[in-house]
Amino acid sequence: MSQTISTVTSDAVPQPRAEVAEERCLFTPPIDIYDTEEGLVLLADLPGVNAESLDLQVQDNKLALFGRVAGSLPPNARLIHQEYPVGDFLRSFILSDDVDHERITAKLNNGVLEVFLPKATRTQPRRIQVNAE
Amino acid sequence: MAVFRWRQNWEPFRDLEQQVNRLLESIRVPLPSIRLDRHFPPVNLFECENEFLLTAELPGLQPEHLEVTMNGGVLTLRGERRGPDGVPDERFRRHERMWGSWQRSLSIPHRVQEDKVSAELTDGVLKIRLPKVEETKSRQIPINGGPQ
Repeated sequence: MSQTISTVTSDAVPQPRAEVAEERCLFTPPIDIYDTEEGLVLLADLPGVNAESLDLQVQDNKLALFGRVAGSLPPNARLIHQEYPVGDFLRSFILSDDVDHERITAKLNNGVLEVFLPKATRTQPRRIQVNAE
Repeated sequence: MAVFRWRQNWEPFRDLEQQVNRLLESIRVPLPSIRLDRHFPPVNLFECENEFLLTAELPGLQPEHLEVTMNGGVLTLRGERRGPDGVPDERFRRHERMWGSWQRSLSIPHRVQEDKVSAELTDGVLKIRLPKVEETKSRQIPINGGPQ
């Protein structure tokens, strides 16, 4: 069981560059988490993010995702009606020791990130042979 | 359905959202934490030189589960987003993403060539191109003298 996080340092989270952050929105993507026999599956909605513009990092016990949305509009496009803002995605999680950090895998399909977090295999007790002298 | 559902037996996640939000607020980055709209999906409409461009965010939608029709100036989008196959509800620790069927009709406030409307779905973003009706030259209407 992981401990409650008391502080988060700014360098722990991949930040967009300062000059870009002033103009761009940053969103917390909605996620689903479900468990399977082998581990946990995390799904995150990242519309407009592709594999090249997604940064997924595991450092120590933290999993951080940052997805940059590339604007692919024609240069002369003029916004005449807006119902949603466009921005980048950022979210972080703390992983417990129950997750095997080395075997985490991820894939991105149709703007949905799927991260598989396998359960760490418990080491079996090993009997130590005691030899009589 | 509860938005957050946690099970206690094995809990490897601690969400950093609150801390991250606080951090981001302190550096004044706009962060609307919830994006709820009355209409789904929310759309943006752009005007280009020869066409209108409508965009919508539909992550996880397969093209075969989306239907786009245009008739009489009304654009109708209909689709269904399915959850992961074969995962029972009780397996979910967290459920924030929307699943289900939806439909939305939009009146396009400009004349477009309805037979040339095209749509593409890339990285969960739908783009619909609506070519403008070409400007026709104004036609002089002859005026006949009425009955004497």
